[in-house]
Amino acid sequence: MISIYQVAAKNLLRKRTRSLLTVVGIALSAWVLVSLLGFNRGYENALSKDIDNMGFQVLVAAKGCPYEAATLMLKGGTGLRYMNQSVTKAILSHPEVEQVTPMLMQAVFDPNKGEDGSLTAYLGVDPVTFPPMKAFLKFKQGGWFTGQDARQAVMGYEAAELEQREVGDSILIPEKNIELKVVGILARSGTQDDGTIFVPIKTLQGIFDKNDKLTGIGIKVNKKADIAALEQKLYDLPDVQVVSLAQVKQTIMSLVSTAKIMVLSIALIAILIAMVGVINTILMSVLERFREIGILKSMGAMPWDVFRMIWVETVILCLLGGGLGVGLGLVLSKVTDLLIRRLLPYAPTGSLILIDGGLALVTLAAVVGVGLISGLYPAWRAARVRPLESIRAEGD
Amino acid sequence: MPGNKLIRALFLIVCLGFGSGILLAAVGCDLNDPDRDVKRLFPGSTGYQTVYVSISEKGGLDLLRTIEDRLGDSFKGLFETADVPYTMYRIYRGQELIGYIHGVNQKGRYGGIQVFLALDLKGTIRAFYIQKLTSRQARFLRSPEFGRQFEGLSLTDFYAYDPASGRAPGSSRVSAISNPAPEAQDDFLATLRAVKKNLILVDEFLLGNAHLPARTSRTGGESGSRSER
Repeated sequence: MISIYQVAAKNLLRKRTRSLLTVVGIALSAWVLVSLLGFNRGYENALSKDIDNMGFQVLVAAKGCPYEAATLMLKGGTGLRYMNQSVTKAILSHPEVEQVTPMLMQAVFDPNKGEDGSLTAYLGVDPVTFPPMKAFLKFKQGGWFTGQDARQAVMGYEAAELEQREVGDSILIPEKNIELKVVGILARSGTQDDGTIFVPIKTLQGIFDKNDKLTGIGIKVNKKADIAALEQKLYDLPDVQVVSLAQVKQTIMSLVSTAKIMVLSIALIAILIAMVGVINTILMSVLERFREIGILKSMGAMPWDVFRMIWVETVILCLLGGGLGVGLGLVLSKVTDLLIRRLLPYAPTGSLILIDGGLALVTLAAVVGVGLISGLYPAWRAARVRPLESIRAEGD
Repeated sequence: MPGNKLIRALFLIVCLGFGSGILLAAVGCDLNDPDRDVKRLFPGSTGYQTVYVSISEKGGLDLLRTIEDRLGDSFKGLFETADVPYTMYRIYRGQELIGYIHGVNQKGRYGGIQVFLALDLKGTIRAFYIQKLTSRQARFLRSPEFGRQFEGLSLTDFYAYDPASGRAPGSSRVSAISNPAPEAQDDFLATLRAVKKNLILVDEFLLGNAHLPARTSRTGGESGSRSER
């Protein structure tokens, strides 16, 4: 005996073109839906990773000291204050702290930069602790310093481009009349490191006669630690200011959440379009088969049987379209990723579209669920067909 | 405070995002303060227009090879590439075009040298200006006396100079340019190379190749396509 599923499938095959177009419509909607949901997850993950990759979550600087090279330039190189190197030990004693890296920023005036002269800033970093914290920094040429107090420099890409430096070249610290050998050129990172000239901290302390002095300390916090609590403890240290990237991250993520709502709204529109398409197709199919349904009922089919048959047709269409759309989403996720990267002013590193098995199943379930709801009205209309009326109406 | 948080967040977005977008392009050589510098280099000018152009956009690798041939040296290293955007200033007195200013980056002994030339409409140097130079002898090479040696020269004179060997025939006007700081010979030679490259680029992009050694049918200059703003 023929099953209700076979009847439903045969019904769909009778109008192949229409069924195919409906499946394609559902597939496109499912593709958009799964890609948008994947983008929501992927973008947030990638952005979060980029922020974490900035190396340290908390920066401690001497109170009132500009902690960015740009700010230092704006202030005309003035306002540098120093902490004693012993502060690093005090910070390391907190259990929340995983690692610290001391930094010293110094600037010199170069009268031969422009008409009125300009400042050049150098950042002294610890060759042991700084590179692991900034693991995302890649080299275009060369590598990190070969010694703790080597007269060497690593240049950010932009700094090297301005100075036209390559590995093996020398740079001159104008006021000090000291040469440093360039041992590394960083690849572009899209961060302020691109414009920085890094020098081993001991070398820089020696050149500027600032032994045991620091302008900043980068702190990497244990993953499960309460950063806010640590910040409060750090404020107890004398004459320091605490700059927390955790706050920044939280604020950025709340901005991203707003964008997510917009993306989900677009996804909702995609679902609604698919829903209307399904209702239209099934309803048309019911209206065209008005007489046929009447005959089925006159032969003993109950309203529930007719309801189920129409509903199953909807489910088959949605399963096929949903499966195809999710498949397309999975297969073309890299292509979508590339397209989105071209459109976005800033795209974080890492995959922007994150579609896994779970998300694929959720999307398929959503599409089938929407299909079931969409099929309710046409199925209800079909179940209510009165045999005699339908046969007579078609005859007329 | 929420305000501070927002400012920090915006700062980070700028650093992470929009900054990175901008940073993707190679860096050209712009006047630090064009309003002031143009008046100084071109007394009597009343305005200027900025034209951005790169070798890759105007003719790609073929054009690069042609420019290298004219220069007598190849483009070198990480940063002397075909996609460097050159900033060219067209100088006006009222509505009348009276000349050009153009600068190039050149690798020096201790850093990048930025060499600017102010040229009349025929491509003759009216003023020479080193905007940036890191050297112990920088003050000599940036002195007006040194710069005055370039005034009145054009690409025709600089064809005699070979940047690869750093030599020019004794009879040429370029050989008459004296180095005011013999200790900075590297930077002196780099400056001469920068001047020749500068003149070739202006000839190619603005003067319609008026100074080709053997005139060919090749055109270019202002009649060619350009990016402008």
